Amino acid sequence: MQWQFSNDAPIYTQLIQQIKIGIVTGGFPPGERLPSVRDLATEAGVNPNTMQRALAELEQDGLVYSQRTAGRFVTEDHTMIQTAKRSLAERHIHAFLEAMIQLGFRKDEIIQLLEQELGEEEKHVSA
Amino acid sequence: MLRKLIKHEFIATGRIMLPMYLILLLSAVGANISARGLLDNKSAVLETLGVLLVTAFGFATTGVFILAFVLMIQRFYKNLLQDEGYLMLTLPVSVHQHIWAKLFVSAVWSIATVLMVTLASMVVAYDIGVLRELPDLLRMFFHGLRLLTPSEALNGTAVLIEMCVLCFLMLMDFCIQFYASLAVGHSFSSHKMAASVACFFAFMFAVMFLIPMLFMGLDKIGFFNFQWNPDPVVAVHLGMLFTIALALAYGAVFYGITTFFLKRRLNLE
Amino acid sequence: MSVLECKGLTKRYGRVSALEDVALTIEPGRIVGLLGPNGSGKTTLIKLANGLLTPDEGYISICGAAPGRETHGLVSYLPERTAIPTWMSAKQLLDFYGDFYADFRRDVAEEMLARLNIQPRQIIKHMSKGTREKVQLIMVMSRAAKLYLLDEPIGGVDPATRDYILSTIIGSYNPEAAVVISTHLIADVEQVLDGVIFINQGRVMLQSTVDQIREDKGMSVDALFREVFRC
Repeated sequence: MQWQFSNDAPIYTQLIQQIKIGIVTGGFPPGERLPSVRDLATEAGVNPNTMQRALAELEQDGLVYSQRTAGRFVTEDHTMIQTAKRSLAERHIHAFLEAMIQLGFRKDEIIQLLEQELGEEEKHVSA
Repeated sequence: MLRKLIKHEFIATGRIMLPMYLILLLSAVGANISARGLLDNKSAVLETLGVLLVTAFGFATTGVFILAFVLMIQRFYKNLLQDEGYLMLTLPVSVHQHIWAKLFVSAVWSIATVLMVTLASMVVAYDIGVLRELPDLLRMFFHGLRLLTPSEALNGTAVLIEMCVLCFLMLMDFCIQFYASLAVGHSFSSHKMAASVACFFAFMFAVMFLIPMLFMGLDKIGFFNFQWNPDPVVAVHLGMLFTIALALAYGAVFYGITTFFLKRRLNLE
Repeated sequence: MSVLECKGLTKRYGRVSALEDVALTIEPGRIVGLLGPNGSGKTTLIKLANGLLTPDEGYISICGAAPGRETHGLVSYLPERTAIPTWMSAKQLLDFYGDFYADFRRDVAEEMLARLNIQPRQIIKHMSKGTREKVQLIMVMSRAAKLYLLDEPIGGVDPATRDYILSTIIGSYNPEAAVVISTHLIADVEQVLDGVIFINQGRVMLQSTVDQIREDKGMSVDALFREVFRC
């Protein structure tokens, strides 16, 4: 997994986001055991307490669950993973819309632009 | 922990002293060969070689004494007061243990150096006349001993032991005085080495000033006015014991200064 | 019990104050950054904790005891400079640490040295500067200490060595021990820290956590540092 951090948000929220992306995209498949906090922290190059906090929050959300001795596992509940995927998508869309509105685009213009872009991408794919 | 400190101090110093002893012994063998014939040789080359070998022995003998002395000071300075001090002075050992380890190892090397030079001299002298006369010399010596009364023999041995103890203590005093100078000098924030040298001379001056004062003071309170007239032999013993006590006190003062500055006034660069 | 605690801690060099009335506590399990510009008093604080300096006022304690022989056994200290005797070989250095520190895990150190391809017979003097720094760090992190005091561990090393050092620090994490990293290179260590202490001209300016600062100020600790210490 590729770990990257921006400077404007707390590190633990960024960790939550990135682990969620890992789960949604199959980097951490459903039902699989997660590496230990220390290993994950070493891999991401972050403080183990911060990693612990991120995992605890994911556990509260239900995306991961822990078994007393065996460690932490990714949920096998596919609807929950879909919901997470959906919420990640919504975040991207919100950020996109905010930027477009700031640039001065109206709703219909945005949709038009999007359709145009998607159409071109389709051409690229079929070509 | 003191044992471990001493062990590692021996490892650190042995890697320098032991090769030097080897050079000393080799140069002694060379000087022996030289004395056996090279020096009176007709060939100029061989004669020059002979002179060189004897000179080499002379250098090695001087060198080994100088090295033992320099190492004694340098180990204290480099191991405790420079970069290595950051490691050494944060080990779970006390400052006292550090100083005793350094003193002990310095003492051992000093004694070993004297023994090695004696051994080297015997190697030089081996089988070239001097040793041939040794049995006669020893015979004369033991003959002389037999003429002594038991009291003379006992007192002679005692004085000899007292002399050895005194020599040893003076060596240690000398050593700890250097340590104290370095410890005080390095508590300054700059010009540490210059300050150390200045401290050394200040201590020398203080000693030269205070010891006569001490004697004058002792005289004034009548310390030297014996009510009884001691036997000359007893007087010699008393004199020696007094000097030994003085040497001990001398060392104790500088030991106190050294530990105080290493504990309370340490200021590593 | 706090691993490190000080109160009213003051240290002067002549008339100049290197530390003035410093109060702080560091709890086990924390990796704390001691952040400040050059000459702000970071090294003085670390030297006081190691008993290499004596405070003029106030007190400093490690696991409840004043710095001394006992606390030296609890603190693993990485000085700013190369303090390991450079004439030693890697093996002699392992022997040395093993002899003096009851908490030295020789197997851990040997494994880390082997991973860097450092032979036991290699002499420290003959190693590159970066390798020497790594060896010293390996010795320090191979102890199971209660407090690790790392003075400028990433100052003057190349980026690859820096990454190695930081991942070694994270990999050695122990919830019962605290780590203090003093540095002015904040961007490099920010992710590794949880607590931060800003120190300037001998005074503590701020004590917080990385994520608290990011949450409250919406900026990284590095950016905040640049703002606070703008020249």
